[in-house]
Amino acid sequence: MSAITVTRLSKSFGAVRAVDDLSFTVGPGTITAFLGPNGAGKTTTLRMILGLVTPDSGSAAIGGGPYRDLVDPVAAVGAVLEAAAFHPGLTARAHLEILRTAAGLAPERVDHVLDQVDLTGAADRRAGGFSLGMRQRLALATALLGDPAVLILDEPANGLDPAGAHWLRGFLRAYALQGRTVLVSTHVLAEIQQIADHVIIISDGRAVFTGPLAPGSDLEELYLEATR
Amino acid sequence: MNRLIHAELVKARASRTVRVLAVLAPLTCMLWAGLGVALLGLEGRMPAEDRIRNVYAMAQQAYLFTLLLGILGTAGEFRHQTITWRFLVTPDRGRVVSAKLAAYGIVGLAVAAVSAAATVAAGALLLHLGGHPVTAPGVPAALLGAVLAVTGYGLLGVGLGALIRNQTAAVAVALIWFMYADYLLTMLLPGLGRWLPTGAARALAGMSMENAELLPAWAGGPLFAAYVLAAVLAARLTTLRRDVT
Repeated sequence: MSAITVTRLSKSFGAVRAVDDLSFTVGPGTITAFLGPNGAGKTTTLRMILGLVTPDSGSAAIGGGPYRDLVDPVAAVGAVLEAAAFHPGLTARAHLEILRTAAGLAPERVDHVLDQVDLTGAADRRAGGFSLGMRQRLALATALLGDPAVLILDEPANGLDPAGAHWLRGFLRAYALQGRTVLVSTHVLAEIQQIADHVIIISDGRAVFTGPLAPGSDLEELYLEATR
Repeated sequence: MNRLIHAELVKARASRTVRVLAVLAPLTCMLWAGLGVALLGLEGRMPAEDRIRNVYAMAQQAYLFTLLLGILGTAGEFRHQTITWRFLVTPDRGRVVSAKLAAYGIVGLAVAAVSAAATVAAGALLLHLGGHPVTAPGVPAALLGAVLAVTGYGLLGVGLGALIRNQTAAVAVALIWFMYADYLLTMLLPGLGRWLPTGAARALAGMSMENAELLPAWAGGPLFAAYVLAAVLAARLTTLRRDVT
């Protein structure tokens, strides 16, 4: 059974067809790279999978059903969306504590995820003063609160320094090795090539390539060929 | 549901804005009570007992702060885009708003109760120092009504904040509406005043309103609740269904 199933998904914003009859599946225990030019519909697709955007037609299933029907969403899916936002006046710990409480998770989860993303030292600082890289780490910590089986990440390496990007690669690889699923949208092909098993490339809202990423193949060449 | 309400309370406790507004509310009431006592000396048509009761009814002046708390607690989530996290944790958006209603009902009640206590303390002290009678018939009812009305404005704020997702617009609409528009309309159309939210809240708080014959207190409460319900329902049918991008 696939972890994520997208079936004939379409969405228009006004006259712009953002996602157009898009179908794909993401297998469990894999890292799947979700690629495409700016405006290809990646973010809209991810938001439809997460129930934040309602599709015009088609459906997205995660763990067997629509996101909105999940009994325990945070244990099923963790998501880091583009430009993840925080209340600037709240500390990282307060932000996590609010969502931990809402999700009904154990209190120690907050310290655990802060430690997982190496943000323990900044836990009691206000998020308004965080660098982009720190915000990405806090967003990832939030996604990890429920110890989810599936991680959906939109441009997670954006703002990370080289050491941070290296750390994220190792983290995601270890995550997939535990049998969990990672779907990650990114523009940094050289980075994702090192860890991805599968590739989905979309352009103008349509899938232009889906398939495994063979070892030794050139992802950049594949991408440029597919989106030409 | 309980954990969602608890989460809202954790958030309210962690927020500086909430603390500031919660402190300003009783201070404002004390100022109004002081003003009420100062004006007691002036000649007027109103019986002295009513004017003493009105000093304590100033506990209602905390309404602006609970209204703002409700708006900021809801529209603020859209402004800072933290609503995305909330809807990821709780995909049933109606439940998120219901939890906010409950939480800001609790926060509003606490602010209202402290404001009423502050009004009583300041009012009684100043009345005593001014040589006036410290109490009058109907004071407990006026205080209870004020507490209920101030709490109600917190709920109305949640409804407005859900309906008008733009925080600045929601605050502007609320301030213009409840500070000016309702009074202006009442002045222009005296028969309408009692049916407006301000008229309903004032009836509930046992206060008078110029140019308007208000409903009895027992009718003001349900009317005000109907306004809250209307705002929440409208939000559920429109803004809450929209895409979160």
